This record gives sequence, C-alpha cells and structure tokens, in this order.
Amino acid sequence: MRSDHRAPLVRRRIFSPLLFSVTFHCPELARSIAPGQFVMLDLPGRIRPYLRRAYSVADADPGRGEVELLVRAIGPGTAALGELPIGSETRLLGPLGNRFSLEALAAGDRVAVVAGGIGAAPFPLLFKALERAGIAADFYLGARNAADLALAARFEGIVPGKTVLATEDGSLGERGFITDVFSRAASGAGYARLYACGPMPMFVALARAASSLALSSEFSTEAAMGCGFGVCLGCVIPAVEKPFIVSCTEGPILQPEKIAWEKL
Amino acid sequence: MTDLPQSPSLPVPQSDSSEPLRVQLGPLSLKNPIVTASGTFGYGLEFTDFVDLSRLGALCTKGLSLHPHAGNAPPRICETPAGMLNAIGLQNVGVEVFLREKLPRLKELNATVIANVWGDTEEDFVAVVGALEEADGLAALELNISCPNVEKGGMLFGNSPQATASLVSRVRKATRRPLVVKLSPNAPDLVQSARAARDSGADVLSLVNTFVGMAIDPETARPRLSFGTGGLSGPAIRPLAVRMVFEVARALPGVPLMGIGGISELSDVLEFLAAGATAVQVGTANFKEPGVSGRLVEELTAYCRERSVPVASLVGRAHGRGVPLPQAGGRG
Repeated sequence: MRSDHRAPLVRRRIFSPLLFSVTFHCPELARSIAPGQFVMLDLPGRIRPYLRRAYSVADADPGRGEVELLVRAIGPGTAALGELPIGSETRLLGPLGNRFSLEALAAGDRVAVVAGGIGAAPFPLLFKALERAGIAADFYLGARNAADLALAARFEGIVPGKTVLATEDGSLGERGFITDVFSRAASGAGYARLYACGPMPMFVALARAASSLALSSEFSTEAAMGCGFGVCLGCVIPAVEKPFIVSCTEGPILQPEKIAWEKL
Repeated sequence: MTDLPQSPSLPVPQSDSSEPLRVQLGPLSLKNPIVTASGTFGYGLEFTDFVDLSRLGALCTKGLSLHPHAGNAPPRICETPAGMLNAIGLQNVGVEVFLREKLPRLKELNATVIANVWGDTEEDFVAVVGALEEADGLAALELNISCPNVEKGGMLFGNSPQATASLVSRVRKATRRPLVVKLSPNAPDLVQSARAARDSGADVLSLVNTFVGMAIDPETARPRLSFGTGGLSGPAIRPLAVRMVFEVARALPGVPLMGIGGISELSDVLEFLAAGATAVQVGTANFKEPGVSGRLVEELTAYCRERSVPVASLVGRAHGRGVPLPQAGGRG
C-alpha cells in the first residue's frame, strides 16, 4: 500500500561534485518497492522547493531496511539533499507508479539497458531482478563528458553482462551518443528487450532504433509531477490512442509506441 | 490603514454541544469545516490510502463537464516561490463516468461529496447540473465560474457580475441542491461578484480560486506553461485570500463562506475562520501532504476540545472586538 513514510538519511555517497546517492532507512518501502517505481521526496519544513520531487528508487535492501536514490544536483531541492545532515528525517511517499516488466522474458535471454546520465537512476534494482531471473543484460551508459559519467562507479560488479560507456566528447569510453553506440551493437545482438531512461532526445532516437529493430521496449519517462499519485494531472504525456497518458499512475514505465513523439 | 466599518452581524453560530465541529452553511450542514478543494483531490478515491474520507467535512470533486475533457498540452504545472502555477485545463472524466464509476464508491465510503461543475456556456452548466440532479449521494454542487485555464467559459462567468448573475440564476432554477459558487480572485470587484452570486440564488460562496500568474524561462524567454498563463496557488496566496474572505464577509454579512488559499496548517484554518469563513477548503497542500486534510480535522477537533468551544464560535472573530478565546484546558 502507498504510504507517506518517515525516512531518516543514513548515508551519502559522492560520485562527482554533482552526482551522489542518498540512502534512507525505510524498511516498509525497502520491502515493497519494485524496479522502475518511484517515490515523492519531501524535505519537511522547507518552503523551497514547496512541492515534493519524484525520484526513481535506485536500489533497495530489505535486509537492512534501506532504499537508495541516485541524484544529480540541478536545483534547490537536489542541492539541499546534497547538504542534508546524516540522520535528518525526510518523507518518502511511495511506492508510486508502475514497474519494469520482465514478462515474456525467460532465463537465458539477453536484454539491453540504455541510460543517459542520471537516467541510470532506476537500473541497479532492475539489474538485481534480471539476474535473479537468469536474464543477461548489457548496460549502455552515456553522458556528455567523463565527469557526467561518474555514476558508472555505482554499477561496477552489478551488471549481469557487459558495460559499454560513451561520452559525447570522447573523454571516456567510446566517442559519440550512447544511442548510436547501442544501435550499432544491437543489430545482431539478439536482445529480447530494451530498457531505457534518459533525456528526451535520447528517447526519440531510441524509439526510432527500437522500432526499426522491432525490439520490445520499456522507457522510464520523466515529467514534472506535482503530486505523484494521479491527482494534479500535471505530468501528462501526449499519447497515441488517447489524448494523454498520466505519467505518474499509468507510467512512469511506458512503451514507446504508446507515446505521440511528434507532439512532445 | 483605513478605519474598519462597524462590525457586521455575522451568521449566528448554530452549535450543538454533542457535535462541536459541525457547521451550517445555509442549507448545507457539514460534520466539520474541513473540505478539500476541487482540482486538488481528484474524485476522492485517489486518497483512500491517506485519508478516511468519511472524516472530512466534505470533498469537492475535480470540475465535471458534460463530456470527458482532455485538458491542455503539457507542460501544465511549474513550481513558484511557496506555491505553484497550473494550467491543467479542467481535464476530467465527464459527468457520466463520474456517476457510474466514482460516486457509488464514494457513497460506500460515507464521503460527503460536493460536485464541482463547469461548462463553456450557460447551457452546458445547466446540462451538467441536470445530469447530477437525481444522483444519490451528493451533498451540494459547486459552480466553477473562476477557472483561469480554459479559453471559453470558466473565469469569464466569474469576471463580470452580470455574467455571474445570469449563470447562477439559470442554474438555481435547475437544481434543488445546496448551491456553492466558487469565486474568482481575478474579478475586477470581488464583492460585486459575490453579491451578484448571492442575489441570484447562491447558498454558499467559496473563495478564492487561483490567481492568474505567469512564469517565464529566462534562458528561452518562453512561458513555462504551454497555456502561457496559469493559476497561482499555495501558501504564496494566503494573505491575499484571507483579505478577500474578510472583505466579502464584511460586505455580505450572513452569507456563508468557504475560505480557500494556501491552507496547510491548523493556524491557517483558524485564520480563515476568524476572517469570516464558516468552512475552509484545503487545496495545493493535498499534493505535498496527501494526509493533510485528515490531519487538520484531528488538530481542529483537539483544538476545540481543549478549549471547550464549538468551532462555529471561531467564525468571524476578526470582525468583532477580538474577544480572547478560552485557553487550552480552561472550561470556557
């Protein structure tokens, strides 16, 4: 059941000046969260930001009762999270949204996971689920430059397959867009599914690639959310079969063929 | 600071010591004054994990139109200092789906339901009201004549006293239910609009809806919302809303008011009651804290119990001579 959990901050791990992870003690959420789901985080007592912010849950450890979020400092809320003293109480509303599906996959299958920058956030938990199901996964992680690729450290040893890195400036890994690197590798790789998360231009390129490969795909989409549980209707995404998809309740995991890309 | 005119005679509190939280708004009796505002509470059912709906004074539904309505293109919301702008554009399931799928479930949950309705034209309003007239389980109707985020209808009815009067009197003839009219703070003269609504048959006035605002991305120089402008809500508007409730209460003594604007704490509720509201609506705070409405019911209950005062005695105190309330623990 969705609930507004009290969650003290127990740990922060710094990957770069802008990229870090925060781990909270929240046993109920650690037990109930599924790959791809998100929480709405509130830093009580703050008027800026006023509204909560949505974060994909990166990982959960039911044994220790902990959940982890991966964060890129981009505004007042994420900056505050970067400075929050260990032990501070926050609130996590969740679990929210739908989940990545492993449906129609079987042990021995191989899937691709493509992430742009902080779009890597939901994938540690997915890798665990894939590994448990005996499914191999290749991880394609791209960013503008080496500094923005610092999250790669979080994925060492947890990818049940190979990891391919790319930067737009060539400062780390292959040079170019991760979407191009993926597209070249994907033809003939026999992937059974594509999971992806990243900025909108990446999604547009991947939707095209997945369509030409006839590859079943699930994208973890992002839209500005006011509430996270289907009430404010602020996070809608133009859709194909109806005017809009409500991202927080019908998503955030969406199949690209359901999105009206030309209206974005 | 201008001199305030003599304190008007505000509604005489009707209190029953067995139900110290109950409030009477004209023909509408609510078990307590905490109501959730339209557009911030879905159809109520979205909140069942967080709030016992039967504990609320009432809930106001998302604005219902005759047919399902898709709303505006995104981006629809953006955060602003101590609040937010929205231009959702009245996306809703339509009155038919509401009656078939939402209202029966709300009735099972013993929720007190106020159906918020809107239309592009007077005929649309009358049609929605007509469709709801025989429905079982509705306590009242609330007319949205104040939405700033649609091209037609909406705020246009609220911004001219003549248009308000014309619409409210037509709807009045179409329903026997208690009729709430939700006023726009963007009206050139809110008191005139309030008077027009009252004189045309409104039983209760709710105020205020959102303030028209705008946010522009400094990099691209484009509005942050696709609609261009949006409605401002949240704690940022509270002093504006309190002033408006105070002014309408002073100008139209005896007209029951529901105060709305940035309410998220007990002190905010008490402030609106003191300004002359008999009930309040909690809005944007429902997004930030989904259990806020239930929490406010409990806090207000405790407040009244500790001071042994009925909630109705808290209404309009700012208009009188500021008689101090009994302190907590006192016997009044």
